[in-house]
Amino acid sequence: MTVAFDAIVIGGGPNGLVAAAALGRAGVRVALVERASQLGGQARVEAFAPGFSAPGDDGDSGWVPPTVVRGLGLGGLARHDPDPCVTVPIASGAWLTLWADPTRTAAAIARHAPADAARWPEFVRRVHRLAGFLARLYQGPPPDVDATGPGELGRLLRLGVALRRLGRDDMVALLRTLPMSVRELVEDAFEYEPLRAAVAAGGVRDLRQGPRSGGTGFVLLHYLVGAPAGAVRGRGRWRAGPDAFVAAVAAEAARRGVTIRSAVAARRILVRDDAVVGVMLADGTELAAPRVVSCVDPAHTLLDLLDPVWLDPEVLHAVRQIKFRGCTATVRYGMQRLPDAGADAEMLRGVVSCTPTLDGLERAADAAKYGAVAERPHVEITVPTLTWPALAPDGQHVAIARAQYAPYTLREGAWDHARREALGDAVTAVVDEALPGFSSRVVHREVLTPRDLADRYGLTEGARSHGELTLDQILFMRPISGWAHHALPVRGLYLGGAGAHPGPGIPGGAGWLAARRLLRDRRAGRYTLTTERS
Amino acid sequence: MKGRSYDVVVVGGGHNGLVAAAYLARAGRQVLVLERRPVLGGAAVTEEVFPGFRFSVFSYVVSLLRPEIIRELDLPRHGLQILPLESTITPLDNGDYLGAWADPDESRRELARHSPRDAEAIPVFGRLMQRMAMAVRPILGVVPPDPASLAPSDLRGLLRLGRHFRDLGAERVHALYKLMTMSSADYLDEWFEFDPLKATKSASGIIGTFLGPRSPGSAYVLLHHYMGEIDGAFRAWGFQKGGTGAISEAIARAARARGAEIRTGEGVERVLVRGGEAVGVALTSGEEIAARAVVSGLDPRRTFTQLVDPGQLPDELVEGVRRYKFRGSSGKVNLALDGLPDLTCLPGVGPHLRGAISISPSLEYLERAYDDAKYGAFSQRPYMDIVIPSMIDPQMAPPGKHVMSIFVQYAPYHLTGGWSDAQREAFGDAVVESVARYAPNLPSLIRHRQVLTPVDIERITGLSEGNIFQGELALHQLFFLRPVPRWARYRTPIRGYWQCGAGTHPGGGIMGASGRLAALEMLQAGER
Repeated sequence: MTVAFDAIVIGGGPNGLVAAAALGRAGVRVALVERASQLGGQARVEAFAPGFSAPGDDGDSGWVPPTVVRGLGLGGLARHDPDPCVTVPIASGAWLTLWADPTRTAAAIARHAPADAARWPEFVRRVHRLAGFLARLYQGPPPDVDATGPGELGRLLRLGVALRRLGRDDMVALLRTLPMSVRELVEDAFEYEPLRAAVAAGGVRDLRQGPRSGGTGFVLLHYLVGAPAGAVRGRGRWRAGPDAFVAAVAAEAARRGVTIRSAVAARRILVRDDAVVGVMLADGTELAAPRVVSCVDPAHTLLDLLDPVWLDPEVLHAVRQIKFRGCTATVRYGMQRLPDAGADAEMLRGVVSCTPTLDGLERAADAAKYGAVAERPHVEITVPTLTWPALAPDGQHVAIARAQYAPYTLREGAWDHARREALGDAVTAVVDEALPGFSSRVVHREVLTPRDLADRYGLTEGARSHGELTLDQILFMRPISGWAHHALPVRGLYLGGAGAHPGPGIPGGAGWLAARRLLRDRRAGRYTLTTERS
Repeated sequence: MKGRSYDVVVVGGGHNGLVAAAYLARAGRQVLVLERRPVLGGAAVTEEVFPGFRFSVFSYVVSLLRPEIIRELDLPRHGLQILPLESTITPLDNGDYLGAWADPDESRRELARHSPRDAEAIPVFGRLMQRMAMAVRPILGVVPPDPASLAPSDLRGLLRLGRHFRDLGAERVHALYKLMTMSSADYLDEWFEFDPLKATKSASGIIGTFLGPRSPGSAYVLLHHYMGEIDGAFRAWGFQKGGTGAISEAIARAARARGAEIRTGEGVERVLVRGGEAVGVALTSGEEIAARAVVSGLDPRRTFTQLVDPGQLPDELVEGVRRYKFRGSSGKVNLALDGLPDLTCLPGVGPHLRGAISISPSLEYLERAYDDAKYGAFSQRPYMDIVIPSMIDPQMAPPGKHVMSIFVQYAPYHLTGGWSDAQREAFGDAVVESVARYAPNLPSLIRHRQVLTPVDIERITGLSEGNIFQGELALHQLFFLRPVPRWARYRTPIRGYWQCGAGTHPGGGIMGASGRLAALEMLQAGER
């Protein structure tokens, strides 16, 4: 059986939904296919124990670019800003908490390090200004040296002007910070170790590297794009629920006539004569369409869904070299009661980052280099039920731990039940140190290793990022050199997932740009040609 | 102020200071070079450390010296004579070895023994690296423009640079960008499968930096070490006849031939500044020497916080120098030997002893060596680059005897608990034991041993934290950011005070480019 569409979107996560809705608004007949029975990808909310449910990640809203909000009319979605942002334990029963209000944070720091407290407000302002430049960079296709045509050159020029408009100091700071290690960044700024560690942990999110690695300065800024002024971690939570964004975009897509097929996986992207002709589903159905936007990761798209015979050897080689390296595990806890934070209970509204030293972060990363799980992983814990009580039975709570580093590929043995539970025990032990008595309140626990994330969400190597956010895999290098403008090397095929610019943590960012690219090609009455930008 | 006055006083007789002096003298300036030590060369010196045994004490091989400097200063006439260092042997843990020889075909055959796939890839890889080095080379030869400046010269420089990159084309710019941002292990993983090959190649990506082979940014240092392979002037790496000090001597002779005056044993206490202008220098002896301009070949920390009063400098600059990363990470062990080491993997005396011996059996070996250093210890099993100069240049040792130079990574400057005599010897023991795993007779051959930690290197040469590159070659410390934004064009905020050391663009190695560019910039500016 064959059904014909103008375009097919693969993957019903935030990017896929945004791409489908954007195309639908432009009058394109779109079908969206999603493997799971529920939309949302990593953002979907699922029960993990009787009465307890949780979003796939930690419930952070991410940053939805204003272009997407305007383009899809999502202005009504409201957020709780993170406050406090992040807390680190500094001794048994004592914590350092960083608030959204820099003055309040400075006061908290001043108790330990007055000099650092004085520097805090300016540090926060500066990283936000630098992240603001990235925000601009993330709302269009990546700038590139081979820009041709007046439109592209004009955009490059405007970016150059925007860069200079940052002013001399910020411009130099930006160029210095991007390649730096986050360790150097915080060591230059602060003396108080728990403060350094609290900030630096934001620079290793979902990386396999530790804070000494170059490029972690960039990662810190990347995940600050769209964060409320004053915050150094997290972009907040949707008021209406963890899946509010997904629901709103899905509704918009439905309104625009998008056909949504869930609970059926795409099995093959069909190609004839070097051009996309449709998608075959796992149940044998063929959906015909001259254009396909894949919002699953680039390796899954090009190596599994596509017959690699359609790719040049150079492209194939480049795709195989993409570093995924999932090494973040997630542990979900069903809690009888809130973890005890004593008088500091408010801190549970933000992220509790359980590693108070830079060396602690680094040591957690060391094991992963040799294919082993960290003995003392770096754990960040959040309690989503403080925002969304409906995730747990009355009076009970859900806690979500993100744990690094647990590599997808183990050198010794493979992920099995025993190793999964051992990881869970290690994570619990770390949380217990930060929040004494935590484990005694746990009634349910679910451990998701990168292997489990790969199975559950279809992520290559369990990488939530769709490709590590290292400097060599961003902007004009994402997903691979030469194909960073959302069109892929087969006519009619586009990439709109986090594996494309602007990357992870930006719901709809890549989906929107991929849809725009498709529409531009369509208006010009052509498919993408063999050279990307012709 | 008494005595004669000069157009330019050069502080520090390291190779960059000498190059600057030679260029300034060539342009007719009255130049005086002042070197604190009795020998010229800074970290490029040859010294008879033990009677009859002569060592290139700190640096040990040469490949980066800019060809235009060799040409323009006519260095061969002044004694520059590079003897090729043609092979590299990496002993493997299974008793075998990996060899790279002068003849590329032979190297390929050798590699094919271990991995036919890599043997096919290596010529392609070599060509790419050569192209990349060619792409970067013009950048080594220009004064870095400041992207934040509106000065016409900066804008012109930026435009030229922009054009250079456009002309390279997207493909090459992307490849270059990868080299600038990746770790050498990841970069090499894309090309090769044989781990000891990747380890040996990535080793050149960590030399002189506080990075491991898996640290992003190390691939650039790899490229930095490829630059020497291009111009046809040298093949890969070489030895200077008489040690690296003889290079410094050759440059010094070239400078003197053009009228420069060079004094050793004369330490500069501080630069004399009057009314915001450098007017000369005061020596540790108390003598004051007047000059219209002063150029420092010392590293940025000493240039800006020791030779002048930091109070005279903008806070931004002082802060920039404070956060500039030196992080010395390497040591050196020099051995006087009664005979030649016998490698288990390649017994007897052979041509392999005329080349380098690289102790880099696997990437993990190197990475674990780095892990030790990260937490403040020296590597128990360090990466070592070993050469036996007396095999090529017999005058380095008494007849029948030999000198062995072991470059060791990692030895952190900030050792937990600090470096003591006992720690230094323990470090020396770890080095000798680590080599002895591959050459068991080595300990019995050692007649004398000199162990240099980064603290020793700092004490003797003055290089801050013992960093042989005058500051790490990290991406955020290169080009217009080296050493500090706004002051990356060899100038300083004090009129008539200049900088020409490896802490300026393009940085370390016996390259001389910093000295040359600084001199040309000074001449263009009329020294002031």
